[in-house]
Amino acid sequence: MAQLSKKIELYAAANSVSSVVFETDVKIRDAGSEPYIYEWNIDGLAEPTAEQLASYETAGNTAETAQGVLNTRANEYKELKEQLDLLYHDMVADKGDKTGEWFKHIKAVKDANPKG
Amino acid sequence: MAIIKVKTGGITADAVTDAKIADDVVGTEHLTANEVDTAALGADAVTGAQLADNAVNSEHYTDGSIDTAHIADAQITTAKLATAVFTGATDIGAAIVDADLFLMDDGAGGTIRKSVMSRLKTYVGAEANTPSFFARGAAATAVANATLAKIACRDEIVDNGGCYNATSSSATLNSLTAPADCFTPNVAGLYYFTGAIQLNTTIFNVGLVNNIGGTGGTETYASLVYRKSDTANGMVIVSGFANMNGTGNNICLAGYQESGGSINTNDSFYTTYFGGFLVKAT
Repeated sequence: MAQLSKKIELYAAANSVSSVVFETDVKIRDAGSEPYIYEWNIDGLAEPTAEQLASYETAGNTAETAQGVLNTRANEYKELKEQLDLLYHDMVADKGDKTGEWFKHIKAVKDANPKG
Repeated sequence: MAIIKVKTGGITADAVTDAKIADDVVGTEHLTANEVDTAALGADAVTGAQLADNAVNSEHYTDGSIDTAHIADAQITTAKLATAVFTGATDIGAAIVDADLFLMDDGAGGTIRKSVMSRLKTYVGAEANTPSFFARGAAATAVANATLAKIACRDEIVDNGGCYNATSSSATLNSLTAPADCFTPNVAGLYYFTGAIQLNTTIFNVGLVNNIGGTGGTETYASLVYRKSDTANGMVIVSGFANMNGTGNNICLAGYQESGGSINTNDSFYTTYFGGFLVKAT
């Protein structure tokens, strides 16, 4: 099931609101059952109905799947200082191309987590 | 009629009997000083009127004869009590127990009341961090994206005062509506709280939230920790103070993240916990 926040973002985008700042524009709360809209503060755009939000379920799942891939990749990439070290050693070894360790590492992560 | 004069020499000793003396004619001048002895007084013949004020000294009381009926109400003051009432008393010789009694002035109104020692527990408890609670996470809590989510801590370790609802449903505790996973104290005052969660993401917030969603009062943060790190899975501890009104204000541990998807809290008891206690009643 798509996140309520994602469906709100899609609803907003479909109504010409390019970005939603949560905890400012919209506050979502989860008191133990399921998330719900606690405050809606987007001027000029009405709070969506349950039916309107439900219409973004499929699109929301698609977007979240894509975001999940990005999150997985982000977790699997080595820390920045380690990547810089890889690049340094690649430069020293004249491997500033696809034969270098840095490139291999990045490619391995991307290949293991395709966007679909 | 001729008057016969009888001189005292003409009256033999003890010749004038009681019958020869008219009623009520013997005045006190006819009594020799200090000659009226106890035999000449009838039983109970000496009334209060015959006693001068402040004339009866304690030496005239029979030892041990003054009973409670002869002491007017409220006449024994502290000055009349010997220090030895306390210092001379025998030590209780054992630990104080609930059933032991002591005296007190009820409301400083002058009425002396007794009380069992067990009442001290309640009284002192009100000033000594009660109510208090501590609970640990018993399972993971899903924190949805961009959602301030209440964290479930349902392994209740301590709930002194019965104010913590360690269930998934709202309950009535101490006649107050207590939302799930919230502490709803029935004593007004300043409280200290602490809690912790661990999320597998690099950026997230952990807060102590009063009245989340506006239930029980205005939603506010008692404390908030914003975590941003290069590494995920950090544990964040939050702590803070909050004034609670004792009539419905509640507080919970809450998490917030914007990873794009839902993330479960680490369900280890040492990474998810929530506790608090009364600092000072108001």
